[in-house]
Amino acid sequence: MKRIVVLAAALAAFASLAGAASAADPPPPTVVPFPAPQLGPVFVAAQTVDKTGAMQNQFAPGSSVIFRAYAVDSKTHKTVAAKDAKYFYVTIPNQPNVKLKYDPQAAGATGRLAWTGTWTIPATYPAGLVVFKVLVKTESKRIGQFVQMPVAPAMLTVAAIPQAPLGIGPGAIKTAAESTSTDVALYVDTVNGTQPVGAPKRPVGCTQTNVYKRGEQLVLRIWGFDLKAGQVLSTDNIDTATYSIPGQATGALNYGAHGATGAKVWFWSAPWIVPADFPLGDVTIHVAFKTDSGKTGTYDHIVTIIP
Amino acid sequence: MRKLWIVVSGAALAVAILVTGALAATTVTKTTVAFTAKYSGTAVTKQTDNNVAITANGTGSGTLLGAGKVTGIGAGDSSVRPCVPFNGTGSMKGPGGVITFKVNPGSAGCGDDSGQLFSISGKALVTKATGKLAKAKGTLKLTGTFDRSSGAFSIKFRGTLVK
Repeated sequence: MKRIVVLAAALAAFASLAGAASAADPPPPTVVPFPAPQLGPVFVAAQTVDKTGAMQNQFAPGSSVIFRAYAVDSKTHKTVAAKDAKYFYVTIPNQPNVKLKYDPQAAGATGRLAWTGTWTIPATYPAGLVVFKVLVKTESKRIGQFVQMPVAPAMLTVAAIPQAPLGIGPGAIKTAAESTSTDVALYVDTVNGTQPVGAPKRPVGCTQTNVYKRGEQLVLRIWGFDLKAGQVLSTDNIDTATYSIPGQATGALNYGAHGATGAKVWFWSAPWIVPADFPLGDVTIHVAFKTDSGKTGTYDHIVTIIP
Repeated sequence: MRKLWIVVSGAALAVAILVTGALAATTVTKTTVAFTAKYSGTAVTKQTDNNVAITANGTGSGTLLGAGKVTGIGAGDSSVRPCVPFNGTGSMKGPGGVITFKVNPGSAGCGDDSGQLFSISGKALVTKATGKLAKAKGTLKLTGTFDRSSGAFSIKFRGTLVK
């Protein structure tokens, strides 16, 4: 009995020492993948644009916000078409829901972002962030939800004097992928970087836009899921993540933390300075992911370059 | 006739030995090991101009190695942003053996907007392995995080080793 007591005391002492040793190391940073480590039944991606298709996230009271979205069933890997959706709408605090309609030809629609709906902001709507959600339910009773990345300058905001796009938006991709099947589902947008090299800084950095002047800094922001594995795309499961722009060297996408201290989320991004002699007009940024298991996913994002 | 039989038998036996030997030589089986390891600890960085000297020490565990330590020394080039390329060498040690590795070119740490919180990704070539993983070779994917302000890091190794 005495031996057991001595052994237990020794173990307790060792355990406390071990605890003290590990407590000396500061805790490593925690990866908070956006939007979540695991995929729900339906993947949803959405953007906000004006009637010309120019991406924008600051709007004045009285103006109209066009929401455009697409969804992918994680079971069938197919994009949700009109016949597949029981409902697909935007919910906005203290506002009626904005129903989304499938119409690839509608104003603001482009490519697979063929579900659109318009919200006219009431003149009395309070200034500030609009924390909206996009909700979808399929006829097979599978649900999905979209929320914006918690990076304040890029979130939908009502402002008396909004930062408007520099021009009209790019032409729409007319090949709506109604029955597209994919292994990797992606959300892609672009914001104005805070470090342009050949153009003046915009008043507010990191706002969503797809219209850029030469010399400005474009920043790609991307998140997505491996549909079969149901896992968010991260360095843990991605072999290669790249973007390519005609006439430019293919660049790597970087996985890292963004946002305010204490509320950082992790997603893929890459900065690109629009060269001073880059051709004007619409240009397609081709995004490609390949997982460690060999699954692939691509996304074409169009931006307009102006003088 | 008896002589001929002996000669033929001897020749057959020799051929049999040769064939068996050849087969034995060609059927050396390789063993694959699905290797994973995870460590956390503290890294010290010392910057001189754009050169960042890195020393890392951590604890954790790895497949067949068991609970143990990881150590590494390396260098980064902070002139490249937002992803700082780094190289170096290191080892993982445990009761089951030691893996020595070299970080491959293309490995980098991508910083956040303030350059404090880094996402680490790259590959490491196993240059030597002992113990239960003796003679194992292969390339491991490495991913992790690093907080420059506290020095805290976490690192995961994953891949297939052949021995």
